[in-house]
Amino acid sequence: MTAVDEALRGSTRTVTRAEVEDFLFAEADLLDRQRYDEWLGLFVEGGRFEIPTTDAGDTPASQGGYFVCDDWDLLRARVKRLRSRKAHAENPASLTHRMITNVRLTGRDGDELTVAANFLVHRARDGHTNSFPGRYAHRLLVTEDGLRFRLRRSVLALERLEAGARLSFIL
Amino acid sequence: MTSPSAHPDSDAATAPLVVQDWERRAFRVHRRAYRDAELFEAERARIWEKTWLYLGHETELGPNDFKVRTLGGRPLIFTRDSAGELHAFLNSCPHRGTVLCRETQGTSKHFNCFYHAWAFHNTGEVAAIPDPSAYADEQYKASMRLREVAKLEVFEGFVFVSFSDDVPPLVDHLGPAADYMRMIGEQHVAGMEVLPGTQLYGVRGNWKLAVENAMDGYHFSPTHNTFVGYLRESGFAVDDDDQYAYNLGNGHSLLILTGHGGRISMLWEPRFGEEERVRTAEHRREMELRLGSERAHLVADESHILFVFPNLLLFDLEGLSIRQLEPVAPGHTDVRAWQLAPRGEDAGVRDLRMRTMVSFVGPGGLATPDDIEAYEAVQRGIEATAGDARAELDYSDMSRGMADDGTGRRGRSTDEGAMRGFWRHWVTAVGAGGPTDVGTPPAAQPEPTPLPSKRPHGLDEILAGLETGTEVAAR
Repeated sequence: MTAVDEALRGSTRTVTRAEVEDFLFAEADLLDRQRYDEWLGLFVEGGRFEIPTTDAGDTPASQGGYFVCDDWDLLRARVKRLRSRKAHAENPASLTHRMITNVRLTGRDGDELTVAANFLVHRARDGHTNSFPGRYAHRLLVTEDGLRFRLRRSVLALERLEAGARLSFIL
Repeated sequence: MTSPSAHPDSDAATAPLVVQDWERRAFRVHRRAYRDAELFEAERARIWEKTWLYLGHETELGPNDFKVRTLGGRPLIFTRDSAGELHAFLNSCPHRGTVLCRETQGTSKHFNCFYHAWAFHNTGEVAAIPDPSAYADEQYKASMRLREVAKLEVFEGFVFVSFSDDVPPLVDHLGPAADYMRMIGEQHVAGMEVLPGTQLYGVRGNWKLAVENAMDGYHFSPTHNTFVGYLRESGFAVDDDDQYAYNLGNGHSLLILTGHGGRISMLWEPRFGEEERVRTAEHRREMELRLGSERAHLVADESHILFVFPNLLLFDLEGLSIRQLEPVAPGHTDVRAWQLAPRGEDAGVRDLRMRTMVSFVGPGGLATPDDIEAYEAVQRGIEATAGDARAELDYSDMSRGMADDGTGRRGRSTDEGAMRGFWRHWVTAVGAGGPTDVGTPPAAQPEPTPLPSKRPHGLDEILAGLETGTEVAAR
């Protein structure tokens, strides 16, 4: 519904893997500390967040069932919700712990960088711990002073979500 | 995984499961119904083995496609053979019981057992048995065909199976629920199809908590406070007036909702955008011609949540979501959910549909996680009264609006009448002899027939809206 805001100036400068790693590690830290407003600031306006279902394959978010297919409006609504005491599924907040590895720069087109990484998120809540292994397949905007998400995509390496493993937090 | 009940329900095992006190207008369900392993086994034996179960939708399968799916704990292969016929085979080699198909989905004319290399056509017949001379005769070999479920019937694309021959025809089992399923197919001239992308997830709660939650309009505002806030901000006035719940017999139930959100391509709301407003008006005109005004109003203007006993929930809301419940243990239910959408839908509408429906339903949405939190919190919380010497504490209360029961009056969606209907059916079906009455039950009137809501005809509304909003639409 919201057009991608290109007011933020893109850059064709060189980006190293270390810079991408720092970006992803800093993001993980914000999420583990539930600093959702700052996390939203890592997106370009008009950015998207997707989590395909475990059997979705290459089905695009616009054409099939997904766990999360947030456009900018929904992403902001999700953050607003997570900040509310009435987001019952995350009140109290889950304890999360993220590890990010195998970071690769997989493509570059002008000011856009595609990035792949593996993640393993542990989430503890209600006396149980669930682990969520998967891969990131992000599209980042390169600017002179940093990186921003155009698309933040988490692809689960699971057959299904185990009991208790609802995605009420940000994966 | 079983529910970790620290206290055996020994004394409680004789306490009545469902009590309806007509003097106090109180309806209570014993909490062992959610956690007792023996009752879970009784449900498997007396309900899952003896009732029509929803298996899948016929549009999930092209010729020779298959999906592997577990129903009532039994692994099945759901497939369509080359001639187009649907089958539900037990996913187990007739020879020694090996799981035959170890992939979750695919396309194949054959199913081959890796263990001794027996092979079967997707019609069920034996294709090859290595070294067949060691068996008595051809007839013996042929008898080793794949085992099918006892019955398979299709209604409006919804495929049901039964593990028992002793069931009524599917349409008789569905009863008045059938018309609400038919309405889904009538929404679009080209019919509906299941989309790729299945939400497969588990919840740490008894399956009946998921049924209660779906039939519970009372929880909507408090549980989904953040989602209701989102709807209000995007211009939709959420309200619970003129919304009713119905018992349709055989354990099926229905909520008719008009105040919880628009319906893509049928009932426009501002968050759907102006292009969708124009498309909606066009589609409503087409529905009017195809279905007639009265039927188009019913099909398009009301949202429905339909429960088909025991394992199918149809959420006919902003979009359409099919949810299947698979009890795994007293405190553990697996859920499978699919999106059902018009065949050949415009890509822009499809995109809107996915965002809108997924934004609400499913384990990553803005609302369903709070429902799951509710069932899981109930499942944990009911341990507090398990085995308590004050036996009356170990009951859950579902008395809201009980004054309407048996009177022929319809109950509000924010009351608990649909849940009571479910539990009355369950306590009979599970073999516990029906609910226990305290006081004199009213001379039962027939259950009220669902009535159309009072909401205005959406076609008039959208045409009026388009006239006043022309400058917006033209921009």
